[in-house]
Amino acid sequence: MPAEHHESRHDVDAGLFEDRLGLALRQAGDSFEADRSGLVAAGEVRGRRLLLRRRAAVVGGVAAVALVGVGGTLLVPWGGAADGQQSVAGRRSTPTPPAENDGRVSGAKLVHTLKKLLPQGEFSEEQGRGTGAELGPYAQVVFDDGKGPGAVSVSLNRVEPGSEEARQWTQCPDRNLMSYDRCTSSRLSDNSTLMLFQGYEYPDRRVDTKRWTADLVTPQGHHISVSEWNAAAEKDAPVSRANPPLSTDQLKQVVIAKAWRTAIDAIPKNPKGQESQGQDPNAPAPEETPNTPPGTSGATISQTLASLLPKNVDVVSKGGQETEYAYLVVDDGKGKSFLQINVQPDMSDVEHQLFGADAETLPDGTKVATSQGPGEQGAEGVVMWTVDTIRTNGLRVVISAFNTGRQHDPATRETPALTMEQLREIATSEKWQQLG
Amino acid sequence: MRLRGEDGYAEFAAARAGHLYRSACLLTGGDTHLAEDLVQETLGRLYVSWRRVSRVGNPAGYAQTVLTRTFLAHQRRRSSTERATDVLPDLADPHSAADDTPLRLTLVEALGQLSAKDRAVVVLRYWEDRSIEETADVMNVSSAAVRTRCVRALGRLRVLLGDGLSEYAAR
Repeated sequence: MPAEHHESRHDVDAGLFEDRLGLALRQAGDSFEADRSGLVAAGEVRGRRLLLRRRAAVVGGVAAVALVGVGGTLLVPWGGAADGQQSVAGRRSTPTPPAENDGRVSGAKLVHTLKKLLPQGEFSEEQGRGTGAELGPYAQVVFDDGKGPGAVSVSLNRVEPGSEEARQWTQCPDRNLMSYDRCTSSRLSDNSTLMLFQGYEYPDRRVDTKRWTADLVTPQGHHISVSEWNAAAEKDAPVSRANPPLSTDQLKQVVIAKAWRTAIDAIPKNPKGQESQGQDPNAPAPEETPNTPPGTSGATISQTLASLLPKNVDVVSKGGQETEYAYLVVDDGKGKSFLQINVQPDMSDVEHQLFGADAETLPDGTKVATSQGPGEQGAEGVVMWTVDTIRTNGLRVVISAFNTGRQHDPATRETPALTMEQLREIATSEKWQQLG
Repeated sequence: MRLRGEDGYAEFAAARAGHLYRSACLLTGGDTHLAEDLVQETLGRLYVSWRRVSRVGNPAGYAQTVLTRTFLAHQRRRSSTERATDVLPDLADPHSAADDTPLRLTLVEALGQLSAKDRAVVVLRYWEDRSIEETADVMNVSSAAVRTRCVRALGRLRVLLGDGLSEYAAR
């Protein structure tokens, strides 16, 4: 446990949390049982291969885990306390009943408010936390209108008005990166923004639990998030009805209720348990700010990529992330093709792992490695063509093209819209160096 | 045929593979397939440099360092970008303990919600019991960066786990 120099209550609590975390990690870690002899044998095989190939380190076969599927848009950013804790709460075997005295607006009061806003029906499994609770206020009930139980929850949070976070809460996720049924984002007469979303608890649809949400952000920085499921809990509960109990319009009526804004106003400023990043007086200025990594912005990358496309393709849609990653969906007249690119500075340290002995070296020292294989998301018939490059200064540009407009959808054409040669021209363009 | 300098490697690998695998499972937020891959890669690298490693002392610590760096390098190598809202890993692992309670899933899943570097800090500090300076050394970052990440990661875990952790630890 790290040394704590102060004896404030916060420090004692923090120490306790760290102790528990250590214990819990050991319990969790110990529950993973390895096939040790298999690992040792496979490790030795790799070692021998490494010795044989020397400089070309083996990059493991199953290591290509594709995580971009739900990437681009922050549907559930972590600035607030909303979603994760509900999932955890939903899993608890004995839900904590809402308290009467945990803040100016108590957990019990919030549950009462939620119930009043819902249509007639039966309620069970009531949970809630008040505005004074360390983890932030929320209320959740299981509501049954006679057609089967469905969990309904509301969580309340304060956001910085006009901030990126405030914007992201009410911005519909990028359909190219996440699959869902319906989403609208609109501005209300009081200048609040509202997102109504109909999607799934598991974006990969391994279980068909539907998750419908309404997120409202007011100009004053109130953030209210109401969610409902067609199951009695968001996870680990069977689907109990075709759709969640409230229509989108009913969901909207719940989220815009003024009582929630009053409750958010009652949250103390800077309560304990909020994100403490950058607020710890003992923490020196960070050497790096993990949320805004250095690197070219996604918008610039997207623009540059578009400027390098061959003339016969049109850009249908585009998107990306804050830095280093962008994508375009292009069409050459034969159907959509997803094109993604990473522009990553300072990758020299892993150069030898990415570019083996079979990589080509251009006259200016740039290394080029190419591959043509199945797509990362496992969708039917999808191929992914990749050209990976690294300049002598460590700048890596890797571009991939797919024979589908969305990575997790089945193939819609035989090959991607760009040839390997065209991908290679884009990846090795001098423009990337000039972005700085 | 044994390679020169291979003595002791097999014994070491057999003794440490289980621990490395468990570390890797926590690092990957419960992605057992990736964890296996990382451990194999780590053992492979140790095999190559075993003669030097075994002479230096503390090969177990060295192995953990290789594992962490292999994991972080893997995260960078992926040609896509990680987000905290990424798909959750496959937790249904037939090799897992039978009493695979939701609480265990909760902690592992919460770890999975952290960024790769934050996860590495948590695993090194609270599973490996490394000091701030040792953690910084393993991750090739300053100790200030480790402190910042640690504060942030603990803050997030507190939010994600809530009361669940005290119930967990009390089991």
